[in-house]
Amino acid sequence: MMRMIPVLIAVTMLAGTAAAAAPIVPIDRAAARDLGDARRHRGPTIIALWSTECLYCKRNLKLFADMQRRSPNLRVITVATEPWSPALAAPLDRLKILGDRYAYGDDMPEAVAYAIDPQWRGALPHTLFFDGRGGRTAMTGIVDEAAASHALGIAQR
Amino acid sequence: MGPHRRFQRLARACLGIAAGLLAAASQAQAADKVAMPKAELGSSALFARDGSLIAVAKQGEHVMLYRSRDEGRHWEPPVVVNVTPEPISADGENRPKVAETSEGALLVSWTRPLAKPYAGEIRLARGIDGGARFDSPITVHRDRQEITHRFESMLTGPANRVYLAWIDKRDLESAKTAGKRYRGAAVYLAMSEDGGQRFQPEIKLADHSCECCRIAGALDADGAPLFLWRHVFEPNERDHMLAKVSRGGTPVSAHRATFDRWKVDGCPHHGPSLAVAPTGVVHAVWFNQAHGAGRVFYGRLREGGVDGQRTVGGERAEHADLALADQRIAIVWKEFDGERTRLHAEVSRDGGATFESRALAVTERASDQPRALRRGGELFAFWRTEREGMRVFPLQ
Repeated sequence: MMRMIPVLIAVTMLAGTAAAAAPIVPIDRAAARDLGDARRHRGPTIIALWSTECLYCKRNLKLFADMQRRSPNLRVITVATEPWSPALAAPLDRLKILGDRYAYGDDMPEAVAYAIDPQWRGALPHTLFFDGRGGRTAMTGIVDEAAASHALGIAQR
Repeated sequence: MGPHRRFQRLARACLGIAAGLLAAASQAQAADKVAMPKAELGSSALFARDGSLIAVAKQGEHVMLYRSRDEGRHWEPPVVVNVTPEPISADGENRPKVAETSEGALLVSWTRPLAKPYAGEIRLARGIDGGARFDSPITVHRDRQEITHRFESMLTGPANRVYLAWIDKRDLESAKTAGKRYRGAAVYLAMSEDGGQRFQPEIKLADHSCECCRIAGALDADGAPLFLWRHVFEPNERDHMLAKVSRGGTPVSAHRATFDRWKVDGCPHHGPSLAVAPTGVVHAVWFNQAHGAGRVFYGRLREGGVDGQRTVGGERAEHADLALADQRIAIVWKEFDGERTRLHAEVSRDGGATFESRALAVTERASDQPRALRRGGELFAFWRTEREGMRVFPLQ
């Protein structure tokens, strides 16, 4: 047993890095419909739709990560609107985005998009803000902290 | 190390392993749900002068060329365009393209993504023996910085000329180095006079294009190239710019072509399409947000305005394409109905004065953007879907 300890520690260190962030989960239309449902969000929540190719999305994600650090109750859920790939984790890890992570899976992309927000026509970034009391606001494009805080019903710091 | 400490460390190690296994299991479960590689659907097609249907698409790190001699019912074994594998962009807005030179050679272009984010090169391969095999691809531009050269659009004209226009961020990069602000990207053009073997140094068509929408191209009635792209007009209006280039490849004019004034700091990822009548009337379809709703529009573009602008399809119509043969015009688009995606067309026989609607197909799985194709006086819709494959629909 004693001889195994260094091995166990090495495995733990490897596992530790893998466990640091939520895995990226493929999303289908049923899960997407739940995500977009304001009644399911009991506290301030951001659902950020993004893609690897979208430079503007990174600016929003950086803001949301900053807001999350200052408001630990704020949930930030990300949905990559492109096919699931393990490589999608890197930009989220770099920005230190904590929270559930989704990406398009096997379901048809149009159906997933429609289920998250029937009004959304594909432009990125697209963000849904939930105030946790049934309020839901959708915004396309870069958002500023004042607008985001207002939509979330939280005080801007 | 005392026994108590050893126990603590061992307990921590076991906990760590358990957490690691859990994370690995959920990763594996996530991966398991998408174990089959997704078909990469971004495709382009044309009818060659011999009447055969040609399509190009990405397969891993190869562009493949497919040929059908019976309008898509049967396909010959595909030809590998780039024998040496390389990364290839193949989403709907930025998929490989195919064209035929005035001397009958097939050309295939694509964007090769580079290691740095958003960086890419415009590649072109020239078919030999009627497209049975291809020369090694060349990089079209002289600028070899590892920056954005992407979203290429290819046109062929008389006298073996080839024109490639693409989205290029060299001016943005220079501005950043100089600490200056720069809106969007730029559109550059390179021309070849020998059917795509060699290209002249590229020139800039305009500053301040949008960053990730396909560029539309068509020959004007006088044979000179026209390009239409989504632009970023001050301060952030993502309308369209129409640029004319001389047959010799020099910029002639560029003017604002749509006036919907969609203000957004974001990526619509939804480019226009263009076709020119023999009379010189410029027909276009495009996507914009107007009065708070994103819609597909059709209109006839002229300097300073749009004639006959109207919406096409319903609230979720998207990625429309346009083709024209004399007085006949076809608009094709796809539209999600809440459950399935439908392929629609509108066909005009009177130069765009009136249109008839057609419902062409439906799919329950993923699909590429539809393309409108011409073969002489005939018009077709081409649509590649995950479940049904590559199909064409005659638009009589």
